[in-house]
Amino acid sequence: MTTKSWHLNRRDLLQGGGLGLALPLLNGMCHAERSAGAELPKRLFVSYFAYGAYMPGGKTGVPGGNQPHHDWSWWPCNEPGPLSFNQSAAPFEPLVDSVSYLRGLDHKGGWKMGGHSSGDVFATGADMTEHEKTNNISIDQVAANRHGHQTRYPSLVLGTEGGTGSYGSSKTLSHRGPGRAIPSLHKPQEIFNRLFKPYAGKGVQQVRAGLKREASILDLMLDNSHSFQRQLGRGDQVKVSEYLESIRELEKRVERTSQWTHAQLPDIDTKGLNIEVSHKEPQEYIRCMYDLIYLAFQTDSTRYATLMLESEQSQGSELWNYATYVLGYKGATHDIAHKRPEDYSGKWDRWRAEQHAYFLKRLHETPEGDGNLLDRTLVLWGSAHPHASHSTKNYPLQLAGGNRLGFRHGQLHAFEGDKKVPLANLFVSMLNAIDVPVERFADSTGNLNQLMG
Amino acid sequence: MRQQTSLLSICVLLVGVVAGAQTHAEDSSASRSLASQSKVWPFLQSHCVDCHGDDASKGELSLPGLGDLSRGGDVQQWSLILDKLQSGEMPPEDESQPSEKHRSEAIDWIESQLRIQVGRDAEHARPITARRLTNVEYQNTMRDLLGIDLKLTEKLPNDPVKPYQFNNTAELMRLGPEQINRYLECARSAMASAIVDPQQPEVYKTRREWQPYGREKQLGLDEIGVWGNRRHSPAWGMGLKGFPKTGEFRIRVQASAIFPPGVDELPLRLIMGYGINVNSATQRVQPVGTVRLRNSPDNPRVIEFRGRIENFPPQPGKIKNGERGPDSMAITPQNLYDDGTLNDGRRDLAMPRAVINWMEFEAPVIEKWPPLHHTQILFDSSLRDEDPAEYVRQVIERFVSRAFRRPATPEEVARFVQIYDLVLPELGSLEAAMRETLSFSLVSPQFLYHTDAAPAVALNRSDENTGKNGYELASKLSYFLWASMPDQQLMDLAAQGTLHDPSVIEQQVRRLLADPRSHDFVENFTTQWLSLNKQKTVPINSELFPRFLYYVSAGERRGTEVPYRPTIRDYMHDETVGFVAELIRRNASVLNLVDSDFVFVNQPLAVHYGIAGIQGDQLRPVPVQASDQLGGLLTHGSILIGNGTGSAPHPIYRAVWLREAILGDEVAPPPADVPALSDSAGESAESALTIGDLLRQHRQKESCNDCHAQLDPWGLPFEQYNAIGQYQPLVPQEGVRVSGFQKDTHRDLAGYQDYLRSISTVEVAARARLPHGPEVDGIRQLKNYLLEHRKQDIAENLIRRLLSYAIGRELSWRDRFAVEALVTHSNKHGNKLQDMIVLICQSETFRGSKD
Repeated sequence: MTTKSWHLNRRDLLQGGGLGLALPLLNGMCHAERSAGAELPKRLFVSYFAYGAYMPGGKTGVPGGNQPHHDWSWWPCNEPGPLSFNQSAAPFEPLVDSVSYLRGLDHKGGWKMGGHSSGDVFATGADMTEHEKTNNISIDQVAANRHGHQTRYPSLVLGTEGGTGSYGSSKTLSHRGPGRAIPSLHKPQEIFNRLFKPYAGKGVQQVRAGLKREASILDLMLDNSHSFQRQLGRGDQVKVSEYLESIRELEKRVERTSQWTHAQLPDIDTKGLNIEVSHKEPQEYIRCMYDLIYLAFQTDSTRYATLMLESEQSQGSELWNYATYVLGYKGATHDIAHKRPEDYSGKWDRWRAEQHAYFLKRLHETPEGDGNLLDRTLVLWGSAHPHASHSTKNYPLQLAGGNRLGFRHGQLHAFEGDKKVPLANLFVSMLNAIDVPVERFADSTGNLNQLMG
Repeated sequence: MRQQTSLLSICVLLVGVVAGAQTHAEDSSASRSLASQSKVWPFLQSHCVDCHGDDASKGELSLPGLGDLSRGGDVQQWSLILDKLQSGEMPPEDESQPSEKHRSEAIDWIESQLRIQVGRDAEHARPITARRLTNVEYQNTMRDLLGIDLKLTEKLPNDPVKPYQFNNTAELMRLGPEQINRYLECARSAMASAIVDPQQPEVYKTRREWQPYGREKQLGLDEIGVWGNRRHSPAWGMGLKGFPKTGEFRIRVQASAIFPPGVDELPLRLIMGYGINVNSATQRVQPVGTVRLRNSPDNPRVIEFRGRIENFPPQPGKIKNGERGPDSMAITPQNLYDDGTLNDGRRDLAMPRAVINWMEFEAPVIEKWPPLHHTQILFDSSLRDEDPAEYVRQVIERFVSRAFRRPATPEEVARFVQIYDLVLPELGSLEAAMRETLSFSLVSPQFLYHTDAAPAVALNRSDENTGKNGYELASKLSYFLWASMPDQQLMDLAAQGTLHDPSVIEQQVRRLLADPRSHDFVENFTTQWLSLNKQKTVPINSELFPRFLYYVSAGERRGTEVPYRPTIRDYMHDETVGFVAELIRRNASVLNLVDSDFVFVNQPLAVHYGIAGIQGDQLRPVPVQASDQLGGLLTHGSILIGNGTGSAPHPIYRAVWLREAILGDEVAPPPADVPALSDSAGESAESALTIGDLLRQHRQKESCNDCHAQLDPWGLPFEQYNAIGQYQPLVPQEGVRVSGFQKDTHRDLAGYQDYLRSISTVEVAARARLPHGPEVDGIRQLKNYLLEHRKQDIAENLIRRLLSYAIGRELSWRDRFAVEALVTHSNKHGNKLQDMIVLICQSETFRGSKD
């Protein structure tokens, strides 16, 4: 395979901010055959579950009173410090050195969103009730803007219902910027094909010729759209600019895709992967989605991913019945959050934990360099509500992985002082750890580098 | 009150920040001049400020901080205040009331000021109307443009959905690169079907016969029972020996039915896709069509089905020795007879059975080659050889003019000719190059967007004279009433420049509504307006309602719903949509939404509601008496289930539904950090019994009472209908434990019904005093109250919903007086549904131009 024709993507270079980026770009160039000496990838993954979690005696997300810690609380233990694992969190026990729990953090921007809407800002921290009504860029996209050119796909945006949803009931965690939600993919077959069979059976030469043609056509389409836009009123012109931006973005992608035709597509071990699975089999479905992310990371097809495991306001989809399918609960999954039945709440959280632990274990068991995939992947898992789903403060949060990116694990951290610590501070540390040198994110007031050793 | 909240925050922003298009009338100098300086302040001060003051700002409304209406401040808020005063909702009943004189003075002042603001604003405010097609509109437009019905929405990201709101607005119909990418994929696959290659393709055929072997003992081998599916019977399906990737298919079946006494119709449905004779609920299939058999085996009938092969999912081949085998596909006929006893145990021979003698599959169907959908684009002409360049130009011009729903300009045509010239050398043939070129016309903004723009050249002379764009109106009408592009007749009227004539509009609206394509309007509109979709996922408690859904009776999947067939919930959805369609068809009064002398049901629904003598799966209007406790939307299963928990009714959900969907109020969502209504609508009927008490408790907290006092009374009368939407006036006494169905104790379902009757001895509490209204007991009295006292609100709500859906944006204070005029006019003429739609289409707000 010749990789001589590799050239830097001019647009990405410009977008990335110029010379300062030259080095990582050069690393990216030789990604296809990752040599032993080259720097290993640094990954980020955010995963969301809806309707909060069970926290008896601590409905606001912080423990109340002096009761002993509940065996079925979502939190593995009560006291900040070294982790011990209760029933709910037990699936993570084997991973104790790779997980931390963070108590007392949340996004201020979601406080007033109420109901089930604060999930919208889980990965963005946007202040949707005030000055960021159409949401704002999410943490994965900040990273993808910086380093996304190093992989075949800048990022992978998945969900279980698909699409963007609407404001207040988002079906995606990822946003390119204000008003630019990225529709999540939710059909395993389709995700698999897009990730690993992008040429749909065509030969590389054919694909390249097609892309070249497409690039020229898109130029003409842009002309066409400009003259169309000029005929519109002012408000409509602004509205249609989203179309023009999309065409420009597509041009970039065409350029990018055609560059990537010079890199070989990864061989995928599809053993045990059932991509025909449906919502009727929640465990198989959720694991399949996790498997796809795992494969995307393992093949270095992308380094940044989000997964809306459960979206809020899912009454239009089978997610509404997950707890019925899984546990035989006679009610909507969402009702568990409101009624908090003793016997189902914990079991439901435990089921979720098992799925997430399955994913972490897969990463953990896959060697990479002198460690494993999880060591270089930051995994944030949580919800934008604590116990009762109508509260928007003190999220249940677990951070996993990234041991080789500087994070130290095995602790429950409590941020419950008088002064509220924004969750966005953690985002700053996470971004910095994967070589995205930001000082601020959303409403951050600093960083959470105390989580790093 | 969603709107209210967002506007309040805009107020905060107004100080120095650009507030966006919604509020541009309220310049910052105006908002600094406060309500307290306005004429109406003394009235507000004496009657409102106690609750809506600086400190106490209930409903998040603080009057002292409000901008002065006469200077254009906070107009939307003022418009809401006017609503509250006019309806009498404020001041609350238990507060001292202003004198009629003071009230009407205040109302007059606010109203006249608002009118001034609306007039002032109309000069420079143009609402944003540019928005992309919804997925349904996209698919329908492709169908009407190409002349082939392809299912494309599956390939697009799901459209956003918002409860009680329409998604065809600029806010929600956004576009990103992913969406355009998908459009391009869809367009390419559609063009691959629309334009065929010159040589005739290979035709694939499969035929299978079945013999009546074994009929004397049980189901014959050529029969399909309600439950039964003997191995190798037609119910096992017919695997296809081969099938093309694109093209029309034809399936012919010789069929009849064996009827038990008293039954004379059997719905036979064909589905195609994966084989379903496996123990799995995740096979992918699509319905081909349904026929109703009324003939006996002595008199077999040959039935033909047609469709597009692209719309059916092929099952990927199995991997053998590292190689994937060919994809496969099967056709499976189904017996959909359902008399409500499907869970009562197998009695195949006592039920009607379908008999299939043989079945044939053929694809593609070649009656004419190339097919019509091809020659509609690549038309027959000697030009093709004589002047290929001119031929290409004409093909493009014709196609693009239809795709853009107005004549294409020479520049537009030229640009696509350029694209054609660019791709021809590589793609080789005219067909291939045209597919690619036209695919790109289908991702251009002129195709994807609704706008009111049209280049001057595209308008004809009469348009130029009047400033009225006929093509734009043609599209508005067809997307409103068909969710698709205009047809030739609308385009012709647009070209003639006569479409803006009110009598022409009326005639066209009635024509469009009479066309079957209007089904998509009613379906879309009704589903979103009534928030219908949630009923499909409410988990039904199978212990309490063992007969409602059709469950798998044995094996690994026991207790799960039988897959691959329409369910009673699907029928309930169709019932509601069909009911609204029927009201429009009859041009019936809007009051039918609350009560009607007919329902729209088929056999399974009739059995469910307790109406005797209805056969078959086709929904139809059926007359009912008041004593049937049916009629109107309030008692539809879709509504009652969707607003229940699956175990118990839920008065709050039902109250919210009534106020939002029927009365047109905006009900605020529960605020953050409120305690949930503790274990309310419960796990069992037992705890559901005490819902009244629970609500009473909940209302005792003041933070809850403000909202719930306005809410609960509307929901309590619905308690007469259980979680699956059946009338159930008697319930078990408080504290009596209701057991679910237990085979040992209750023996059979009839036994369980007897048991339920034996413990159901208390009349359900469905009594409530309505806010600003009388006490009502049960749905009947609630309906009577609505019909007598809330007529105006019900009509206004429907007009607002229809208008909002029609113009693709939410209404604001700017539309207040336009709506008022429509309401008055409609009221004068009996508030008939079809007339309402005509009126809306004739309005300036809809047409977007003045007379």
